[in-house]
Formats: sequence, structure tokens, C-alpha cells
Amino acid sequence: MNQFALVGNPNTGKTSLFNTLTRSYETVGNWSGVTVEKRVGTLRGRGGRLIDLPGLYSLLPLTPDEGVAARFLMEETPSSILNIVDASQLERNLYLTIQLLECGRPMLIGLNMVDVARSRNIAVDAGALQRELGVPVVPIVARKGTGCAEVLHALGGLEASRSGGFRIDYGPAVEAGAARLAALLSSGGTASASDPRWTALQLLEGNEAVRASLPAAVRPAEVDSILEQTAEELESSGLESDIPSYLRRIRTERIAQICRSALDRSGQRLHTATERIDAIVTHRILGIPLFLALMFLIFKLTFDWLGSLLSDVLDGFISGSLSGAISTALTWLGASPFTHALVVDGIVGGVGGVLVFLPQICILFLLISFIEDSGYMARITLLMDRTMEAVGLSGKAFIPFIIGFGCNVPAIMAARTMEQRKDRLLTTMLVPLMSCSARLPVYALFAGVFFASNRALVVMGLYLLGMVLALALAKLFSRTLLKSEPSLFIVELPPYRMPQPLSLLRMTWEKVKGFLRKAGTIILAGSIIIWFLSNTGPGGVGVDMNESFLASIGGALAGLLKPIGFGTWQAGAALITGFMAKEVVVSTMNIIYQVPDMAGLEHQVAMAFTPLQAFSFIAFILLYIPCLATVGVIRKETASWRWTFFSMGYSLVLAYIVALIIYQGGRLVGLV
Amino acid sequence: MFRQQAVEGRRQALASVKPGDSAEVRGLNGISPMLRRRLRDLGVAEGSVLTVLRLGPFGGPLTFECAGQHIGIRREEAGRMEVAPL
Repeated sequence: MNQFALVGNPNTGKTSLFNTLTRSYETVGNWSGVTVEKRVGTLRGRGGRLIDLPGLYSLLPLTPDEGVAARFLMEETPSSILNIVDASQLERNLYLTIQLLECGRPMLIGLNMVDVARSRNIAVDAGALQRELGVPVVPIVARKGTGCAEVLHALGGLEASRSGGFRIDYGPAVEAGAARLAALLSSGGTASASDPRWTALQLLEGNEAVRASLPAAVRPAEVDSILEQTAEELESSGLESDIPSYLRRIRTERIAQICRSALDRSGQRLHTATERIDAIVTHRILGIPLFLALMFLIFKLTFDWLGSLLSDVLDGFISGSLSGAISTALTWLGASPFTHALVVDGIVGGVGGVLVFLPQICILFLLISFIEDSGYMARITLLMDRTMEAVGLSGKAFIPFIIGFGCNVPAIMAARTMEQRKDRLLTTMLVPLMSCSARLPVYALFAGVFFASNRALVVMGLYLLGMVLALALAKLFSRTLLKSEPSLFIVELPPYRMPQPLSLLRMTWEKVKGFLRKAGTIILAGSIIIWFLSNTGPGGVGVDMNESFLASIGGALAGLLKPIGFGTWQAGAALITGFMAKEVVVSTMNIIYQVPDMAGLEHQVAMAFTPLQAFSFIAFILLYIPCLATVGVIRKETASWRWTFFSMGYSLVLAYIVALIIYQGGRLVGLV
Repeated sequence: MFRQQAVEGRRQALASVKPGDSAEVRGLNGISPMLRRRLRDLGVAEGSVLTVLRLGPFGGPLTFECAGQHIGIRREEAGRMEVAPL
């Protein structure tokens, strides 16, 4: 099947276009590095596969997400390329375009954000650009869908055409070197999918990935000798001795020449609205307080003003009408008491007990999506960099941290966009300390019982605790385990834009779907297993719960947990099952305490814990271990079991110490 | 030659350019290679004209504008970028 690769600079709207062309709902955002993995979709109406790739500035990747895109282009050799170019940043974008044109594959250019360019009085002549580059250029506004039909149509006619002979003459020395390299490659006898001249130019530019993928028949020594000879000839002809910077200079000159006929920036205006907003939100005194106020507003909306109200309504429905209807239906069907108990206590209790928190999770995801799509994300990195630098991290690590408030899994993947390995590794280790939405039901339950009057404050305290510990550990780890490199910080600040309500709702829905999927799989399976373990024991089926398998499993931990305030088998069992997914802690409690609704569970929990024990317990839940899915992604991103086990080990130790300090310290000062 | 020296004499670090003032990039050799590479990716190279926008709190990052894009870098690195004020 035809493959079209979507390639372009970061934050130029590739994923927006991908979503429109394939009817997908991949996450979009307004900062560089939203997409870190390739995504495949089927083109609307005409078949063929479209592959969305992370953004990159040139074919020489610097970060792992850029590596994904560069490797895909070299190894999977898509039949055609759809290159997205930001019309308001034409010169910078054309550098990659030139490297892509040299590949010699059929190519279409989507000239995106022509509306943004126009509003800033930047005039781009698509016709002139098409003549200069020799490939079709279609002006589009990907976010609004303008021009997308034309792109689909043009992709259809692309197959047959080869790109129209765009070629840069790099001067005698480089051209001779490229010709010798190309000859060497074709003498190797292996027909490479890539254009030989392109491969030769990439070798001259020092592209390690291209070099590594050379056929075995090509001897590295011969390549090196041609490279050296070319460098000497270049120098002796009075030009630079460094081939890569020479190539860059020639290309930049060509781009300037193209822009003289296709671009008019004489009347260019600054982003006045963006400047005005930044003057306030990145203000040297107001900036950080405003950020903290925004975070507090998010907690208030999620836990106090809106979220908990809606959750109560949903709880009334699930534990009342729904549970009642299922119970009636089961009786009518003649279900055995066993089945009845499994469905009503196990499944409805376990899964329903978590689904109750859906409204709060929706609101949290909606607010995070708003931050992602507005352009504020990049400003947060700017505000936090000084603090992050002090603990040995880059300000950019704050993007994974914020995403981690939603879910740790995409947050860890987002660490790919940082340039330094140390920044990436530290961030991967510390993201699990960010309170994800799965921990929210546990907080909401316990805070609702014990700290009802200042719920939002207690929950925000927990989020802050995670954040403060992450920063403290960053300092510790960067001093001990990862001393080598200093952190690096550079960020692009894109113009602000108003998130579109529809796209915002879609992004939120995509994330909420993940939660619902989890409810239907891991949480459902977990609830059934827990129900069985709590109703069976060495004595057979239907034993008293204190004699069940679950009680003996949880009881094994009780002694260990006693010093931190919750030495019961119930707490031990909830912690073990919580490793699957943190929400399962709430499912387990629902099943163990066999309560019909939230009010009943809250009553039971109030009986089982004192406020101090409860606080120690939720702090332990916050820190104690990354969930199963997070462990999986840590393993994948670090490619190391040692780091994976380290992430689990340090968090267990940390959780125990923190809970011990809270509980024993609290008792010392007379709290209960 | 004298003119050359005069220009050399006016070189200063980007970090010392006041917000609102513009300068032309003269040398990027002092900064870390990875940062230099990223700046080049973004189109910031010798000869580019920058306008300093603002400075972050507590010695935080410096924001500048170049060819219509806004970029933030650490002030320490900005101290190693040589520019000539315009």
C-alpha cells in the first residue's frame, strides 16, 4: 500500500493535519515535541497510509524523538513525503525541505499556518515557491481544515511524478567528493533504496545514522579517505575546511535566494497579542505567583467547586438506580447468590467505585488539555528553569511533570524531547512522583472522609509533596548517580492561540477513553480477582473474609506496615493490588468493606483509620511504586532493567520513610 | 583594519544587552556544542539580528526574538554569546 510520511519542523501542525486527513484524534499541542512516536493512519476516502512523525529540524537527529523520524525516513523508505512547512517561519523550515528534496522521492509541500503569516503581514507566494522547489505546494490551515481536501487530491497525483529536479550545486570540491562516494556506493553492488547522491551528501554532512546503515560491502576506510580528500580540496580552494558548516552555508544561501522570490516580510509585524500576554505571565515578579494561582484554580475546580459535586451525582446514580436495576435483573434471571454477590459486590462495587470519579478526571484532563493547546506549556518551562537548574535538571522537564498529573505513561515518553541524556533519565525516574489521575480517586475518597472542610488544600498538599520530593531527589541523584553532564535549556515560545472547544473536547475524550478502557480491563479483572480472593480461603468458598486468601496475603505485610500507621491486612491487600493500577486501591476497599455506596465506604474508612493514619496512608499511596503500565514504559525508554528496578526500589524506600515521619512525627506532637 | 578593530571593540555578551535593544550575533563558539546546534536549527547563527525581550526572575532565562520567533535560553549561556549592539 502507498505510504506517505508526514515530515516537518516541530510545532508546525503535522498532527493537526494528520487528524484531519485520517479522522484520528491524536493529541495536539502548542509546543515543540508534542508527538514523540510515529503514528499510522489510513487516508480518508482514498486509501493509503499516512505516517505522522515527530518533528525535526534536519535529518541529523539530536534527541530520541527526532531519531524516530530520521530513522523512519531512512529505513522504511516511504514512497512519498508530505512536508509541512510553517509559512510564518519559512527560512528555518526550508532547511529540512532541501534535505528532503535531495532524497529524490515524490514530495508534496503543505504550506501551513498561512492565516498566522497573513495576520502578521508575511506574504508567501505559493506559486513562486512551487517554481523554485519543483514540487507542488498547497497552502493550508491544518487546525481549521482549510486546504486539506486539496492536499488529499494532490497526494493522489503524486505517485507518478518524480520531484522536479531540484538541485543545489555545492561547487567543484564537494560535487567531486559526492560523485566519488556515490560511485563507491554503487560499486558495492547493493541497490540501495535511497538516492546515491543524497546518501553521499549525508555522509559528507556527518550523518551517523546514514553511515551506520551503509551496506557491509562499503569499506569505512574508503569512505573516510574520500571525506578527508574532499575536506582538503575544499580548504585548498580557499573555502572552509569543515564540510558540514560549508554545506549549511550553501543551503542557507540558496534558501535566501528562494525567499527573495517567494517571501515578502517587509511589512512584518510582531505578535502583539503574544507579547502583551507574555509581558504579564512571564513577568519577573508576577510570573511564578500567577502559575501557582493557576494550579490552585485547577485543584479547586477539580476537587471542590465542580468535580466533587458531579461525582456525588454520579455516585447516587451508580450505587442507587444502576446497582438496584442490576440486582433486580439478576434476581429476575434467577442468578445464584454466588453470582449475585460477584456481580453486585465485586464488579459493580469494584469498577463502579472507581467510575464515580469520572467527572473529576474529566475536568482535570480538560484543564491540562487547555494548557497544552494554548502555548502556556513552553512558558512554564521558562518560569521554572531557574529552580530546575538548581537541582540539576532542565526547565523543560516540567512539561513531562505537568503531563504526569494526567498520566505518568505519556509523561515519561515526553521526556524524549530533551537534548541531554541525563535530563531524560532523571525526568523518567522522577515522573512517577507526580500524582497522576489514577491516584485521584484515593485522595478524593480519603480527603472526603477526613479532611472534608479543606479538601482542595490537602490534595494540593499531596501534589506539592510529590513535586518537592521530586526536586529534592533530582538534586540528590544528579549529585551522586548522574554527575557527568550539566543540564541544557533552550525553548521556543510559540505564539499563543485560543484552543478550539471541539478539539479540546476531543483531546479530553481521548484521555478519558484511556481511563474507561482501564476500568473495563485492569480494574474489572482486578475487582473479580480481589472478590474471589476475599471470598475464598484455605477453608473453602464463602469463608469469613478475615480467613480469606486476601487476608493472609495482606496480613503478611501488616507487621511491616504497623510502624507507619496502617498495619491491617486490608491496607496491605489494597497496596499490593494497587500496583496493577492505583485506582484498584479504591476497588479493593469497596469490595473488602462490602459497601453499597460511597457514603457507606466513607463510613467504613472512617472506622478503620484515624485522620493521621489516613494521611500517612495517602502519602504512601502517592509515592510507593510506579504502576504496572508505568514500569513497562520506564523499561522501554531506559532500555535497562537496572534503572527500572531502581525506580521501583527508591520509591518504596522513599514512601516508607515519608509515611514513617508523618505517622511517628504526628504522634509525637500529639495528633491522632 | 582600524574599522575591524572598532567593530571588535563593540563586541559584548548577549546577557549584557538591555531588554528592548537589538544586537547582531558575532560568535557562538563559547557556548555548549549542543546548544549551538539547536540555535542553528532555529536559524540563529553568526549574522542573525536578535532583540532581547526580557529576563526571567532570580537570574532566570533570557528571552529574545529572532526572525519573528521567540526563544528562551539560560542567562549563563547568553553570557557566552558574542554580539555587536545595533
